[in-house]
Amino acid sequence: MLVVSVAVMSPSGLVFVPAGIVLAVALAASEPSWSRVAVLLASAAIMYALGWILPVVWPNGLTATIGIACGYLIRFVAAFGVGAHLVATTSPTRLSAGLRAWRIPRAIAVTLAVMLRFFPVVASTSAAVLDAMRLRGLVGARGFVRHPVLSIERFTVPMIAASLRASEDLSASTILRGLGSRRTPVTLDPPRFGWPDAALALAVAALAAISMVLPSPLAEGIP
Amino acid sequence: MIEIGGVTWTYPHADHPALRGLDLSIARGELVALCGASGSGKSTALRLINGLVPHFHDDGVLTGTVTVDGVVTTDVELDALGSITGTVLQHPGRQFFTDSVREETAFAMENLGFARELTRDRVDRTVARLATWMPPDQPLRHLSGGQQQQVAIASATAHEPRVVLLDEPSSNLSPDAVARLIGALGQLKSAGVTIVVAEHRLRYLEGLVDRVIVMRDGAVDAVWSAAEFRGVSDADLAREGLRGEVRSADLPSAPATGPSIEAGTGAGEVPAGEVPAGALELDAVRCHLGGRTVLDISRAVLRAGEVTAIRGRNGAGKSTLARVITGLQRSSGVVGLDGRELSRGARQRASAIVMQDVQRQLFTESVEAEIRLACTDAAGDLDTSAVLASLDLDALAQRHPLSLSGGQQQRLVVAAARVAGRRIVVFDEPSSGVDRRHLQSISNEIRRVAADGAVVILISHDDDLLALAADRGITLVSPGELQATPSAATTDAQTMKETR
Repeated sequence: MLVVSVAVMSPSGLVFVPAGIVLAVALAASEPSWSRVAVLLASAAIMYALGWILPVVWPNGLTATIGIACGYLIRFVAAFGVGAHLVATTSPTRLSAGLRAWRIPRAIAVTLAVMLRFFPVVASTSAAVLDAMRLRGLVGARGFVRHPVLSIERFTVPMIAASLRASEDLSASTILRGLGSRRTPVTLDPPRFGWPDAALALAVAALAAISMVLPSPLAEGIP
Repeated sequence: MIEIGGVTWTYPHADHPALRGLDLSIARGELVALCGASGSGKSTALRLINGLVPHFHDDGVLTGTVTVDGVVTTDVELDALGSITGTVLQHPGRQFFTDSVREETAFAMENLGFARELTRDRVDRTVARLATWMPPDQPLRHLSGGQQQQVAIASATAHEPRVVLLDEPSSNLSPDAVARLIGALGQLKSAGVTIVVAEHRLRYLEGLVDRVIVMRDGAVDAVWSAAEFRGVSDADLAREGLRGEVRSADLPSAPATGPSIEAGTGAGEVPAGEVPAGALELDAVRCHLGGRTVLDISRAVLRAGEVTAIRGRNGAGKSTLARVITGLQRSSGVVGLDGRELSRGARQRASAIVMQDVQRQLFTESVEAEIRLACTDAAGDLDTSAVLASLDLDALAQRHPLSLSGGQQQRLVVAAARVAGRRIVVFDEPSSGVDRRHLQSISNEIRRVAADGAVVILISHDDDLLALAADRGITLVSPGELQATPSAATTDAQTMKETR
């Protein structure tokens, strides 16, 4: 995931985007999570349509601006797609065991594992805050257009307050159980680099190579 | 085993100390219950023993000393204290770091660096002893509250600490889960573990407890031996703000039928012509999530001006029912109010939910603004200050909602719902972890909303609250589930896994 993020986000990263999206879709299909496959394909298609086709078909200032924005956002589609697979399939224990096996420094490994653990908390809190806003009539296109800053504030403040409260319990309990301490952890089930991992690594390398050799469909079009 | 000598502790940014000159001595193998009203300092005393006080709170002020198993808590780091103590926090679901029973049970041993073979053996034995019949790879978030509690205990004790601390372990448990908790505590006690339990409900500990310590304002107020405690009357407990017997709420059934309604609890059909005015009606309401039927109600009628309790195990569809009724969740079938069918949008505009975590639903920068926001969607313009005065919130008008106590926040959310004239009000587990006095005041709030003429739905496991606040009840079961036994739960979980 880190490799993909760095690749697609780098200045000349657009060449890797099609490969990243192919990888993300393949990972989603392997779970299988068909809804994510659909979302990824649809958002990539929309980004492509708005970013590459629209400015050519109907060139003016507005479509050019949208085109540049979408040219940038399509990188996120690839990065988020691969990231979502990690969040959906990997438990924090397995992630930290894996990072430990790679001799990644503990500070980074613990931070990444905690982030991974925290995604579902943020997701469920956000869903609950949105529910509460809907019942108070605070969600709606009209309200958002009229008071965009206020709407965002009304969402973020309770979201952060509730997430922080949940995080306090979590960090108290994990620190007491030795997470991030100076002791050397011993993994119960050590991760093995098996043939599926090898196949995945080969596939990623192949996709990257193809991206560099073949002409990119996204290369022209960006003004 | 545990020596607390003259401890005074003030949390960072607090005006008053949470503990004032606390002296406490607990012997090896003793089971001690710490009790007292909310804010009496019992949870803080637990945090003092596992070292979260002072290590977890920078800038707090501590005087006095605490020694646990010969270790002065201020001299060592938290992981050293974590290896001699095991802690179960109040909301077990919030303290899980991993995704499965086995990983969670192994978590402390892995981090504390136990040998792999020892960890594997201990984890298997602990899971077999405390978390039996739970499939070891079941995602933790799919477990019921009672099962989560068992996993939290397993995870806090696999590294065999000599001291185990539990913060209000019974607060979210149904009576059968409390029985399992008693079993787990008994096992630990017979293994010679020193146990400290902070609790509001006490009676379930009667056969196990060696001493009951009543706290008030951060110090010890009364000490009862096991024999004395058995002689303490319910009135004495009430005077200390403590809950006594776990009451069982025998509620008359609300009229409801369908596969989601537990056999023998629905009160049958209400003929279409006899539905009372203002009532909420559900007809053929079915809801599928992730390829599974989670709710299936043929017909149900909930009266206005009454409090209807929704009971049932986790995963039985209680929150789904609340989300369908309030229009947050799509479903098939018809939901009507006062004889008229309501669309999802109309239901959202007619409903309010008082969530378990109320800070998720406070949107403005002051109490007054929160009420004014609720007024904007009420029919007419209201005099905000008069409303605040009538709700006993006028003294707090300029405070930021997030700076209020949990109870005050809850009152504010209820007030906003009443001001906005919502006709369907759902309370979702409003009493988790509150003492006897607060229980009464929450119950009064709920009753007042019903007296305004709203359809009030109370989702709760807390029989004490249900006995006070509910008029009728519906018990939900997961549709398709034959009986509420562990084996049925297992099959259920397996099907769920297969369909995912």
